[in-house]
Amino acid sequence: MKAKLKTALMAVLATLAMTAPALAHYPFCTCALRDGSITCTGGFSDGTGAEGVKLDVISYDEEVLIPGKFGADSKVSFKRPDGEFYILFDAGPGHVVEIDWHDIDGVEK
Amino acid sequence: MTEARIKPNPHAGLPGGKRRWPFHLSILLLLMPALLVPNYFRQVALFSGTGGLGERKLGEITIGPWKAQLAEFSVEEPLDQGLAGHIKSFALGLEPESATHVKASYMRVGKPRTLRAAGAIFYGPPYRQLVDLPIPQRTEPGERLWLTMEGWDGSVHQASIALSEASPVTEAWLAKQKGTR
Amino acid sequence: MDAISARPVKKKKTTARLWLIIHSWLALPLWALVFFICLTGTIATVSQEILWVLKPEIRANRPSAEAPPLGYDAVLSAVEKADPGVKVDFISRPVKTIYALEVFVTARDGQSSTLYVNPYTGAIQGTGQTYDFRFFMRALHGWLLVPFNGLTSWGWFLVSSLSIPMLGSLVTGILVYKKFWRAYLHPRLRLRSGARIFWGDFHRLAGIWSLPFIAIMATTAGWFLIQHILTYNNITVSTVGIPQTIAREDVPSGTGTTVPWISLDKAASLVHQEFPDLDPAYVQMPVNAYNHIVVGGRGNYPLIFETANVNPYNGKVESTRRVSDRSVVELVTESMRPLHTGDFAGIWLKLLYFLFGLLLSALVFSGMMVWTKRTAQATKSLIRDIREVRTSTAALEDGQ
Repeated sequence: MKAKLKTALMAVLATLAMTAPALAHYPFCTCALRDGSITCTGGFSDGTGAEGVKLDVISYDEEVLIPGKFGADSKVSFKRPDGEFYILFDAGPGHVVEIDWHDIDGVEK
Repeated sequence: MTEARIKPNPHAGLPGGKRRWPFHLSILLLLMPALLVPNYFRQVALFSGTGGLGERKLGEITIGPWKAQLAEFSVEEPLDQGLAGHIKSFALGLEPESATHVKASYMRVGKPRTLRAAGAIFYGPPYRQLVDLPIPQRTEPGERLWLTMEGWDGSVHQASIALSEASPVTEAWLAKQKGTR
Repeated sequence: MDAISARPVKKKKTTARLWLIIHSWLALPLWALVFFICLTGTIATVSQEILWVLKPEIRANRPSAEAPPLGYDAVLSAVEKADPGVKVDFISRPVKTIYALEVFVTARDGQSSTLYVNPYTGAIQGTGQTYDFRFFMRALHGWLLVPFNGLTSWGWFLVSSLSIPMLGSLVTGILVYKKFWRAYLHPRLRLRSGARIFWGDFHRLAGIWSLPFIAIMATTAGWFLIQHILTYNNITVSTVGIPQTIAREDVPSGTGTTVPWISLDKAASLVHQEFPDLDPAYVQMPVNAYNHIVVGGRGNYPLIFETANVNPYNGKVESTRRVSDRSVVELVTESMRPLHTGDFAGIWLKLLYFLFGLLLSALVFSGMMVWTKRTAQATKSLIRDIREVRTSTAALEDGQ
């Protein structure tokens, strides 16, 4: 769940179950290129890991080149595909992070 | 021996002594919540919508067949959310008729490639929904915010608004970031 | 004087004195703030009960002794009938049956409010603000109204860090008060021996009787401080895992208008099948088309809320979060809040918390009074001593 600030505040009010007015759960994902291989690290801003989250490498013409999933270490590694592409961290509708190949660490621009 | 008559000060080491007033200064700290009361009620009005959709109303926006009100939730710089970068909130209020047709709304800095990559999703009742929009580091001043809506009929419609119009504070913040980097 | 027995006594005295010095320094510099926090917390504990007394519309008046409580669907249709087009966000069924249901709604103009619904008749008894007196007291007590910047507020840091001097006062208080357990059987409160004696007796008496309460407050508040520090540094102890969403392909499409959610009564009964011991306390509507209905309540362990996520389209219970799914750290963390507020057993516990809260507030105040009277007296006697010495010295000098 995202930082449903309003809803969470209501939940606090109604249930007295939580201590903080909001629970931030924003996704993040960063990728780096080393020796022809790209490694992406993902997770959520509250410190939760990304195990089980989908990570697809998609070409600019919308073909999924490499479908992937995060392991227990919150990392995914794959060989750098040819051509232009972007990487999509997809934890469900609206919980996505998009990394363009230009924004991968270590890629010459 | 005259000195023997002076008992040792029973208060050696204890707070106070002759000057006791500094130990009542913490009363002044109570001025803080008192001064914050108006701000508290302003925030409560913002969170419950009684103060309108957001702090800065952006007016009506048309997204294909649908209509909605848009607002900058609070007029402040994007919030630092650690590894997830900086987040800025916007509010959306669908017109009642549109609310029955729109399945979900998304917002993104820059034009999305696909529905799957349409950005962050709005949450909350359709008459007042919020989105926590990540503002990527690479955002250039002059970029636009893209609002994507998908209908229950499967159709997808989009509209955009200049970031400088949607949130001048964020635009200024970006310029400042660029300057320091 | 027997030198052998006198030595340890004197040593004991000096260590006790050291504890007294530490005790005073821990509590005095911020006494007004601590007093304020104790007092507002005391009021916050019973804020719901205060509202119950003041506002008849939040009471649940049962029309007859055997009237059955309404299901969630009946509540929804009662709200829709009274206020057509309004969106229900959240339904809360307070633990104590003396309260009306609280239904959080958002109107077409985007304004949210709380409807108080009679749980037996479905009558809308009144409308209130989403953030009422309870939330104000909680904000005043918990973070002194200092706004949150993201997830943390320095007001929260300030208030929860008062747990450190509080815990310190507790420990040093015990150390100063030799054989304090005797006072449980032989309480002493001298009313007619002057203000200093009275406040001193009162401080010791209130102190020993609220020892466990102070320990609970200081420990839970200390835990809130640790939690806030972790949150500030984006560290979680949560094992909740990745956000729960409904996959795009599992949400109906091609319908033209909003697909209705399954009936809430059905959702509740499905949850009941999986969680026979769960007593649903709230239902949260999906926050968007890809989200679940969340049913939450207490099970056998009264301090923790257990939840079930129900798919609003097919009624499947897609995930649950029970006591057994939590780590030990989480169980401890989540138990801290109910322990701090006393809101988990019934009104008797709240009233007990209220009384002890008053006692704790009085303890802080009396400590300050003891110090004021003591230093006033001591200063006076010191001045007197010095004067005496001066006069006698002068007399001696004159005699010379």
